[in-house]
Amino acid sequence: MSATDVLLECRDASRTFGGGPTAVVAVQGVNCRIRAGERMAITGASGSGKSTLLHLIAGLEEPTGGTVLRSGPFSAQDVGMIFQGPSLIPALTVAENVALPLVVGGASEETAHAAALAALRLTAIADLAEHLPEEISGGQGQRAAVARVLALAPRLILADEPTGRLDGVTGQRVLDTLLSAADATGAALVVTTHDPAIAARMTTRLAMHGGRLVDVQEEKS
Amino acid sequence: MIVAWLGGLLRRRTGRLLATVAGIAVSVCLVASLGAFLTASKSQMTHRAQQAVAVDWQVEVQPGASAHAVLSQVRADSGTKTALPVGYARTTAFSSSSGGASQRTGAGMLLGLPNGYQKAFPGEIRRLTGSPTGVLLAQQTAANLHAAPGDTVQVRLPGTGRAVSVHIDGVVELPQADSLFQKVGAPPQAQPAAPPDNVLLMPSRQFAALVKKAAAADPSAVTTQIHVNRDAPLPADPSGAYQSVTHAAHNLEARASGGALVGDNLGAALGAAREDALYAQILFLFLGLPGAVLAAVLTAAVTGAGAERRRGEQALLRLRGLRPRQVLGLAALEAGTVGLAGGLLGIGAAAVLGQTAFGTAAFGATGLSAALWFGAAVVVGLAVAASAVLVPALRELRSSTVADARRSASTHRSPWWMRYCLDFALIAISLLVFWASSGDQYALVLAPEGVPRISVSYWAFFGPALLWGGAALLLWRLATLALTHGRRVLGRLNRPLTGNLSGMAAALLTRRRRPLARSVVVLALALAFAASTATFNATYAQQAEADAQLTNGADVAVTEPPGAHVGPKPASRLHVQGVRHVEPLQHRFAYVGSDLQDLYGVRPHSITSATSLQDSYFAGGTAQQLMDKLAKHPDSLLLSAETVRDFQLKPGDTVKLRIQDGRTHRLRTVPFHYAGVVKEFPTAPSDSFFVANASYVAKVTGSDAVGTFLVDTGGTHQKAVADRLRHTVGTNAQVTDITQTRSKVGTSLTSVDLSGLTRIELVFAILLAAGAGGLVLALGLAERRRTFAIATVLGAKRRQLRGLVLGEAALVTAGGLIGGGVIGWVLSQMLVKVLSGVFDPPPAALAVPWPYLALAVLTSVAAVAGAALNGARRSRRPAVEELRDL
Repeated sequence: MSATDVLLECRDASRTFGGGPTAVVAVQGVNCRIRAGERMAITGASGSGKSTLLHLIAGLEEPTGGTVLRSGPFSAQDVGMIFQGPSLIPALTVAENVALPLVVGGASEETAHAAALAALRLTAIADLAEHLPEEISGGQGQRAAVARVLALAPRLILADEPTGRLDGVTGQRVLDTLLSAADATGAALVVTTHDPAIAARMTTRLAMHGGRLVDVQEEKS
Repeated sequence: MIVAWLGGLLRRRTGRLLATVAGIAVSVCLVASLGAFLTASKSQMTHRAQQAVAVDWQVEVQPGASAHAVLSQVRADSGTKTALPVGYARTTAFSSSSGGASQRTGAGMLLGLPNGYQKAFPGEIRRLTGSPTGVLLAQQTAANLHAAPGDTVQVRLPGTGRAVSVHIDGVVELPQADSLFQKVGAPPQAQPAAPPDNVLLMPSRQFAALVKKAAAADPSAVTTQIHVNRDAPLPADPSGAYQSVTHAAHNLEARASGGALVGDNLGAALGAAREDALYAQILFLFLGLPGAVLAAVLTAAVTGAGAERRRGEQALLRLRGLRPRQVLGLAALEAGTVGLAGGLLGIGAAAVLGQTAFGTAAFGATGLSAALWFGAAVVVGLAVAASAVLVPALRELRSSTVADARRSASTHRSPWWMRYCLDFALIAISLLVFWASSGDQYALVLAPEGVPRISVSYWAFFGPALLWGGAALLLWRLATLALTHGRRVLGRLNRPLTGNLSGMAAALLTRRRRPLARSVVVLALALAFAASTATFNATYAQQAEADAQLTNGADVAVTEPPGAHVGPKPASRLHVQGVRHVEPLQHRFAYVGSDLQDLYGVRPHSITSATSLQDSYFAGGTAQQLMDKLAKHPDSLLLSAETVRDFQLKPGDTVKLRIQDGRTHRLRTVPFHYAGVVKEFPTAPSDSFFVANASYVAKVTGSDAVGTFLVDTGGTHQKAVADRLRHTVGTNAQVTDITQTRSKVGTSLTSVDLSGLTRIELVFAILLAAGAGGLVLALGLAERRRTFAIATVLGAKRRQLRGLVLGEAALVTAGGLIGGGVIGWVLSQMLVKVLSGVFDPPPAALAVPWPYLALAVLTSVAAVAGAALNGARRSRRPAVEELRDL
């Protein structure tokens, strides 16, 4: 893979919360690259720093040390984010939630709604389009979150333990949907997880411990 | 666990707990402050009633009893401060001669006063001119006889053949002539309609010598009364004081064994005051309770804004193994803590307010009363806390299964009250009650004279109370309907704020219709409370001012002494610094049939330059129309409704009055034409009188003598102007200003100083309006930080988030202002009509305090805008930080 395929690179990236003796170093000196179309898993125990690293990659937090370099212009619309918990806006229907990032990005409501319905069909929950988030299950909610990313067609999809609160079967279904969405859009996919089975489905696996990157495994394509 | 939970609440939910405590404190403070007003007012009314009475008791010695024995018995009574004997004798006539003309009056009264009477009872006799002692002629008698100090008057007594001449030393006014000449022991309906027109007062010794023969001929022609002032301590409450005084009077009568009857003037004054005390109590109910309830609703709204979070916390506690009773116990702990804190804070604030507004930090005249108010306020605090914190927790526990939650989430049914049209029913019943309780025959307070029990028709309270409830629910319905079906309009209205997110913003508003409708209703109610309270208070103040002006005539009044002939020309010398206009007002006496009434001659075109004439003072036309009629047809006459009824008059009928001719000093018949009815007029008595054109009166009587000069100062510096005028006119005329009159105006409720209550209510109304607008919105926005965080992660810009928040704020503000304006206006109309008995004179139109209303609106808008901008500012915080927090 050439250097031009690199979407994002972390160089000695660090993130510390607080200061003085009570300061918490969440991420320390991480170096990694994310290439276009890459499938990456960040694994580690709870508190190892994987969510914070994901937030640094997403640009939701600024590193307190080192840098996170993005190649070329990188807008909010280029990153699709999926959280562990419910991330749908309660007062909007599933379709409106899926259309929201497109409208926020400047699309007309009609265009955004059509794209949202298409994404919901791809994630097989088109029948829930007019339901409110409180009326659907946790798994359906995560698939709606995936549909929201799919409708956005970003260059980079970041998923923070997307199956963490789901049972095994539902979790697998959500992961399948997520991989399909990444395939459909050609986006790079970065997933944090402590489930080895999920990590095994990714081509690159980073292991974290105590905020540091302790192991990197890459499968040759 | 209890300590840990409480500690956690204090650390993590400080803001919300403080808001709840503040809401409860406002409720408690309002109730306690109004309680302080009530007790202070009652005490003030008792004090005023005591002050207003010149002679507390007039004990009449009955035929056959010894006056000396009765006097000794009265003086021996433990509550007696002063007791002096006064002789009363009937006269057949008084007569006098002056300027070659003779005047003779009808029957009258002769009074024999002991030494020191005027010092002991200073309110009974007011010197107008001449000496304060010796033989004194009453003002109207002096006018009838055209007599002045230095003149001689002949007195004719029954049973004596010849008249006795007496030398007049002075002319006096008898301000309390009604009670002075009462028929002691007679029921109210058997009392004389008016005091005698002709009265002469003289020292006891001279009186005794004069009436000796008459008394021998007819013992009933001469009687003795013991005039008494008491110093027995009275309860602060007029009702209790009334009972105490009447019991003491009955006791004296019983001990006198038929030898004496007590004319209980103090009891009568306290009897009237207890009616006013009940009106004060009603004002407390009508004006205060809605505010306290509103504060409680606001508190519930504050805690309701955190319902989602509470639901989550309760679910977590249940998951961790706590039984429902334990979860409820923790909620009770929270309710108890905030209730007690709010109660104590509220009562402390009320004490400070009471000290500031009423000059007392105590809630009542006695320790028991203070303890009761203190206890009641704390109970109110705990009740508000229980309804705001404990009840929702209990409701959540009862429906906290997932199945229930799903069911509630999937149902879109309207609330039960909406389905059963409770709002329409409440408004309909309210209007029915209003219709029944605002009729002319309806008396809100019934206090029959001489009867210890008084009653209040609390039923009338249901009119405004049901309107509050019905209007609130109707507004809720309308807001919900507008939010449900007006999505397209909302989207269009939101476009300037949210751009291409307007459709989404409208969807958000539509889905959040319940909390938004609640916010609109709470803000509207707070504004309606502010509007109705302020309008009522302004109307009350307007009418109290009108009452004072009716009594005094104008800002300052210069009254010429009886017998003095002062024409309108000297008005120019009254134009001292601060005077804007001087209006001469004639005052004569005129007979219609055998009835003697006051006659006022006015200059129709300029009378309103010095005093205000409200339309409600007249019937058969507006004030302007009737003054125009007097100007156009100078022989027009305005009469009292009673005279019109007695003489069966129709507009245009000729009315012949007998008025004294200024040239001959004899009565002459003057024709007038009935033009309209006058009920009230500046300086006029409250019973029957006439108003005519001054030029016509001057022409037909040959005298342009002025009774009173009405002086307009523009409503300011009345006291200073009065002092300057006193300096100008010396002792030739009496100068009174409206500030003096205000403090003296009768025993009606207008004598109660509502300014303290008004200040408290208006401050609370603004606080509630600001709280309703700002606090509820702020807490609602705080609850949706997660929504804003998600929107930020999805790429929403600050401008877009700010637009969402401002759109919601604009909706709440617009709904609250419109709803509050309409409800406030309707409530003001209803309150003024239902409480018409409070006003004296009744208002022709409501006084709308626009500056205050503008302040209330601006405060609310500022609070909403502040909350919205703060919400928008907080939405800019890094999204992940918000997500991490939640």
